[in-house]
Amino acid sequence: MLTYTLRRILGMIPTLLLISVVCFTVIQLQPGSFLDQYLEDPRVTKETVASITRQLGLDQPLWVQYLTWIKGIVTQGDFGYSFVNGRPVSSLIWERLGWTVFLAVLTLIVSWVIAVPLGIYTALNRYSKRSVALNFFGYVSLATPDFLVALLLIALVLNLGGTNVGGLFSPQFIDAPWSGAKVMDLLGHLWIPMIAIGLEGVAGLMRQMRASMLDVIGQDYVRTARAKGLAGRRVLWKHAVRNAVNPLISLAGLSLPSLISGTIIASIVLNLPTIGPFLYDSLLNKDQYVAMTLLLFSALLLLIGNLLSDLALAWADPRVRFE
Amino acid sequence: MTRSRPARTAALSLVTLALLGGALAAPKKVSGYGSLGVTDGKPGGTYTLPLGDSPQSLFYYGVIDNNLGLISQQLFDGLLEFNYATYKLEPALAESYVVSDGGRTYTFKLRQGVKWSDGQTFDADDVVFTFKNMIMNPEARAGDAASFKLDGKPVEISRVNQYTVKFELPRPSPAFLLQMRSFIMPKHKLLKFSVEGGAKPSDINGAWPTNVAESEVVGTGPFKLATYTAGQKVTLTRNPNYWKVDGKGTKLPYLDRLEFLVIRDPQAQVAQFLAGNLDQLNISGAQFPDLKQKEVAGAPFRVTRSTALFGSPPFVAYNFDAKDPALAKLFSDVRFRRAMQGALNRDRIIDTVYNGLASLPGHGVAPVNKDWYANTRPQLGSFNVAAAGQALDALGLKNRNSAGIRLLPNGRPLEFDLTYGTDSSTYPAMATIIQSDFAKVGVKVNLRGILSSKLLSTGQSGDWEMILHAFGDQPDPELRKPIWQPGGALYYWHRSLQPARDGDKPNVAKMAAWEKDIYAIFDKAATTTNVGERKALYTRWQLLFAQNLPVTPIAKPENIGAVSNRYGNYIYNLGVIPGYNPVPLIYQK
Repeated sequence: MLTYTLRRILGMIPTLLLISVVCFTVIQLQPGSFLDQYLEDPRVTKETVASITRQLGLDQPLWVQYLTWIKGIVTQGDFGYSFVNGRPVSSLIWERLGWTVFLAVLTLIVSWVIAVPLGIYTALNRYSKRSVALNFFGYVSLATPDFLVALLLIALVLNLGGTNVGGLFSPQFIDAPWSGAKVMDLLGHLWIPMIAIGLEGVAGLMRQMRASMLDVIGQDYVRTARAKGLAGRRVLWKHAVRNAVNPLISLAGLSLPSLISGTIIASIVLNLPTIGPFLYDSLLNKDQYVAMTLLLFSALLLLIGNLLSDLALAWADPRVRFE
Repeated sequence: MTRSRPARTAALSLVTLALLGGALAAPKKVSGYGSLGVTDGKPGGTYTLPLGDSPQSLFYYGVIDNNLGLISQQLFDGLLEFNYATYKLEPALAESYVVSDGGRTYTFKLRQGVKWSDGQTFDADDVVFTFKNMIMNPEARAGDAASFKLDGKPVEISRVNQYTVKFELPRPSPAFLLQMRSFIMPKHKLLKFSVEGGAKPSDINGAWPTNVAESEVVGTGPFKLATYTAGQKVTLTRNPNYWKVDGKGTKLPYLDRLEFLVIRDPQAQVAQFLAGNLDQLNISGAQFPDLKQKEVAGAPFRVTRSTALFGSPPFVAYNFDAKDPALAKLFSDVRFRRAMQGALNRDRIIDTVYNGLASLPGHGVAPVNKDWYANTRPQLGSFNVAAAGQALDALGLKNRNSAGIRLLPNGRPLEFDLTYGTDSSTYPAMATIIQSDFAKVGVKVNLRGILSSKLLSTGQSGDWEMILHAFGDQPDPELRKPIWQPGGALYYWHRSLQPARDGDKPNVAKMAAWEKDIYAIFDKAATTTNVGERKALYTRWQLLFAQNLPVTPIAKPENIGAVSNRYGNYIYNLGVIPGYNPVPLIYQK
């Protein structure tokens, strides 16, 4: 298992290099330049453009820019600096990482905790009215974009006279030290992103769980388990669910990169201090080292997620072997 | 200080003065704005404003960033500032100034007793330091070096004594005073990033990144930086050393705290305003009806309209150097541009795009700008499809194809692209109206949407045929010279006039007669110090503009703001206009 893990980790290196080349090429193919956004300012002259281009190293050939960047990462762990912010990329990402991970993990937990039982329920009671209603609800929420749900919730809160519309805190709590009141305020704001972002995940997971559950409950070993007189509950959790949950573990691994790029529009609409809008801006502005670092990070998360889900699968399913 | 007081009182007030560290030495009294509804307020309170995105740095001359500008405006001052009502320049950090040597020497006497927010004394060293190391530093990304070179020669700045600085210009420049609104920075905090302090010229851009210690960011402005929470909020607190008082002598600003919430989405800003989390918001004409309706229904805020001097009136331009030679020839013909103006339905655009909250435009000068505006309204003509059609017929574009589109002399249909910004609340609707109205006179317009932030670079690249764009109005036409003077860096609709290098002489030989006239007017006005003569020159320019339409202005949008009823003394504030900051007067009722 250890050798397997090591082999996988070493295998990531060439993949990441390839991905970084592709990202860099795609960003360079995008028309326009980082400086375009400044041209309208009366202070900017051709000379200013030339001197900023020189300061940022954008006058160097592309391959030099790329190699300098890679060299910085390998030798000093330096991911370059943001043109826009004039600061190292890593510290800018670090600033936003906390809330991003918090929100992503929380939505993941919420959607799993709701989706898995619902999936099991609708699989076991396929033709009941309640299942039909839940399935219908699932389809609708799967088809509704998260930002639309967010906007509707904001409109609803406003119409009911509420004030928690967007963000994670009321203005007075944003830079206040942690306290009971601040936690309550956070909870008062948190439910909107949880519903808006989590709902899509719930619907998808629920359908997935239902499908694989339906697959499993028809299997021989489930019938055998029942036949040997095991209690219904035990058959369900120990035999059916344990097997049905495998595809979901793979799915969980795949959802790790959504930390960064998953909820850009919803984050903008809901005004969440996460990495998504940061990536969006860097792509629009051609802030190339920020964009490349985030894309590379996203690729790394995907690879790690895959590895973790494979390991988790091995742990959950005795049939899976690596050797 | 009255001299008739008994000696004891005088002595006491002297002691008080000494205790206050001379901060009251010569405060500026802000009064006489009754016409704007300004009254004496009371100290205290918190005011919350939106910020469209996180600031990219906290150093004003290091990045060009509107959000940083909004914050910097509250932290720093210039030598001069605008009067809130008349937009005339008046003393700020400078108490007075003298222009001598035929308009070539400007001597500023600084306000004594002004303190930086950390208690250090502000003096001539800070002013000289700021101009030399930042504003005139060509490596400072948001510096303004080009404005301090006249005919290729630099403006010289020198310290005369602790409270006097002198600028010597290579030639007279009547708009020079407007540059004196630039923010002055503290030498004692920024020396180590400057050339003077031994750093490289470009190192200045790295001063005060967003994770700098708050106490490092020191200014003379009404507020000082308290905290910055990345991506969420910037909090400023009152600067106790601020150098302005109200009519009664109460120290300004009235507010204790000024907060900026980072909210990127305009709809989310409106939602936060309605929820009472924001106290003031600038909105667009499209959002006006909804908010006004809520106000009328008793919501606790006011929606105000103002015809401000600043703001960006949209125009359409035709590419004189279009890649298709037949189009280039047509676009260069003033008769074509005038004919198409007749097919431009300004009233419809004002009604439907701006909900009536816009008026007819000026030509390069806002109609509300009493100092310079010349009445060019008759030249705007009126929307008349029949007349426009006849004018196009007379140009030899009478033949049409089976689809009703006019044919160019070379037999191809008269069809071109209109480049516009898709991520705007006004451009897409305007582009559609133009497309449908031009179709009525047999001209086919194809819409080509791009990001609004790429409009200028696309314009300058020459890769367009017709474009919908806007440039901001400024109080003095001289400040917009690169836009409106043929051959200027931003005069992109006739790009072949531009010199190879900024500052070189443009290609005058290729100019049309009226372009030569305008070119000469701007050159002459830039060195004419007599106000009457300048006014006559700029009047002539506006008339030439209106007749020859280098670009065709569409409308002048009004500025619309919404403010919570809990606050008084609200004066509309467009955004980042150095030298125009009415926030110190705002008070919580």
